[in-house]
Amino acid sequence: MSMTDGPTPLPSAKAAQSADDREALTTAPGASIAGRKGKKPGSLGQRWNALSRQQQWAFLLIVVVLAYLLPVINPPILTTEPGNNFGLACFNMARFALIAIGLNVVIGYAGLLDLGYVAFFAVGAYVSAMLTSPDSAFLKIPYLWTIPVAMAVTMFFGVLLGIPTLRLRGDYLAIVTLGFGEIVRILATIIPAMKGQVGFQSVGHPPGTAADGTPIFTNSNGIPWYWLILTIIIIVLLLVGNLERSRVGRAWVAIREDEDAAEIMGVPTFKYKVWAFAIGASVGGLSGALAAGQVGFISNQRFDVYTSILFVAAVVLGGAGNKVGAIVGGALVSYIPDRFTAIAEYKYLIFGIALVLIMIFRSQGLFPARQRLLSYGRDAYKWAVKKDDGGASAKRTAGTAQEKGAQA
Amino acid sequence: MTLLELDNVSVHYGRIQAIKDMSFTVEEGEIVSLIGANGAGKTTTMKTISGLLNPSAGSIKFAGQDITKMKAHIRVVQGISQAPEGRGVFPGMTVLENLDMGAFGRKDRSGMAADIARVFALFPRLEERQKQLGGTMSGGEQQMLAIGRALMSNPKLLLLDEPSMGLAPQFIRQIFKIITEINSQGTTVLLVEQNANQALARAHRAFVLETGEITHSGTGKELLSNPAIKEAYLGVG
Repeated sequence: MSMTDGPTPLPSAKAAQSADDREALTTAPGASIAGRKGKKPGSLGQRWNALSRQQQWAFLLIVVVLAYLLPVINPPILTTEPGNNFGLACFNMARFALIAIGLNVVIGYAGLLDLGYVAFFAVGAYVSAMLTSPDSAFLKIPYLWTIPVAMAVTMFFGVLLGIPTLRLRGDYLAIVTLGFGEIVRILATIIPAMKGQVGFQSVGHPPGTAADGTPIFTNSNGIPWYWLILTIIIIVLLLVGNLERSRVGRAWVAIREDEDAAEIMGVPTFKYKVWAFAIGASVGGLSGALAAGQVGFISNQRFDVYTSILFVAAVVLGGAGNKVGAIVGGALVSYIPDRFTAIAEYKYLIFGIALVLIMIFRSQGLFPARQRLLSYGRDAYKWAVKKDDGGASAKRTAGTAQEKGAQA
Repeated sequence: MTLLELDNVSVHYGRIQAIKDMSFTVEEGEIVSLIGANGAGKTTTMKTISGLLNPSAGSIKFAGQDITKMKAHIRVVQGISQAPEGRGVFPGMTVLENLDMGAFGRKDRSGMAADIARVFALFPRLEERQKQLGGTMSGGEQQMLAIGRALMSNPKLLLLDEPSMGLAPQFIRQIFKIITEINSQGTTVLLVEQNANQALARAHRAFVLETGEITHSGTGKELLSNPAIKEAYLGVG
């Protein structure tokens, strides 16, 4: 806030003029800093908001249909073949997008930097594997049932991690979550039942066979899995979108912006932080369970710190706090190394450079977040105007006169 | 009636004691000022009353109820509201959204609407700037917003932590005028200030804080004319 603490001119015609300019900028979805930087992010969002409800739905419908058709069309320039099967590449993009949506709740909405998110992904994957793989000594349940179980278990782990650590803030929280990520990976190595590097083979998959009797969901064909996860993404987006617009979403934004101020506004900050953690964790677990099913094999090799950082990069790249941004960021982080196999070795270098560039040129990410909390406030204001039109406006003019007097 | 009562309250930051056995009361309908230099414990006192800090000893009573262990967000519902030091406006939210956050613990829509109207009547500038982001407003406007937001919970007790900090003299006078008006509308005000002149002139009663202890108390006028205070805080003597 130091930017705004400097000497400020007293209200004058000039200040009012510049305020009008600022006001015009703030209607753009490109939050405070982006507003100053450029008109482009604003114009994209503005154009979107200018569309009627029907147009928005129609546009979304087209996007969704195209998304479903993507692996079937296999567009020539976009395709990752011959290096990587495009169906699998699509599945991985969707998987990363789902993870980014979940992590976006934690980092983007509530502002809690979680550097160990891969732990939740791992927990979900292990739950799914241990309840379906013949290598596991546990009871077996149908694969689809493991998805809600995995979500519930990871949510529990989210709460378990959240309760002691969410009293910490900022850097301290990041360090503890970083440690948690490693703990889960190391536990998978040392607990015999989790089978370390040996891992679990032939993890289950959803039922269903094609006309010729072969199963629909196989490890080599990513397309059915892609459709499944895309459907799940849409459901999760609807749920998260509703949360975002609710009291919970407003509380998260307030916590992100100023935790102490949120607390003295009457927001039970601790409770809402744990909620953000738990919801984010369950989406991570969901994604882990799906990934385990698709790959069919789980061991402790895939859950390292780098993966966690990659998840964070996806969210930051897309624009923390914006779910569309999270999807795009997640998809890009998975797509780029698949598409350009020659540079896949250097992906961390490339993402590092990309992040630095984004921080310089678009510090809010590709899709800057502008929380649309207004609807609620607008309602309240309409109420106020309707109710107090007579008395309040008279009082208001009195107040203005008084203010002018004080300034004179 | 006594609205707020601090009884031998001590607050520690680690091993450092910031407040030593502080006791004072705020009666309903008053403006009470706490004045003191940097590091005297003013903000610590405010944070302890609003619940952001826990006292290491002593008790706090609000409207006859012991709130020593009560969480900050519940105290808001009970009727204690704070405009924090440095304003604490949510920079990425608009004015209206900031005000809306102030009413987070409330469910009575009509009461909220009346309070928005009240805030806009007190600060017409906020009404003009409803859609502007909090972080892009001037210091004075942010201060107005912080006070307005604190009023949105319809508090019995309004805690103002250095409302004049960093403001131009014209703005300071205006803010204090509005504080008096808020008080005359029935809200009890506890004020912490370095600007002793205005704070004492506007207060019914006042306390002087030095290194965590109350050293002087009296009505605002008494303290204003006290030579020792004049010399230490009013820059004359």
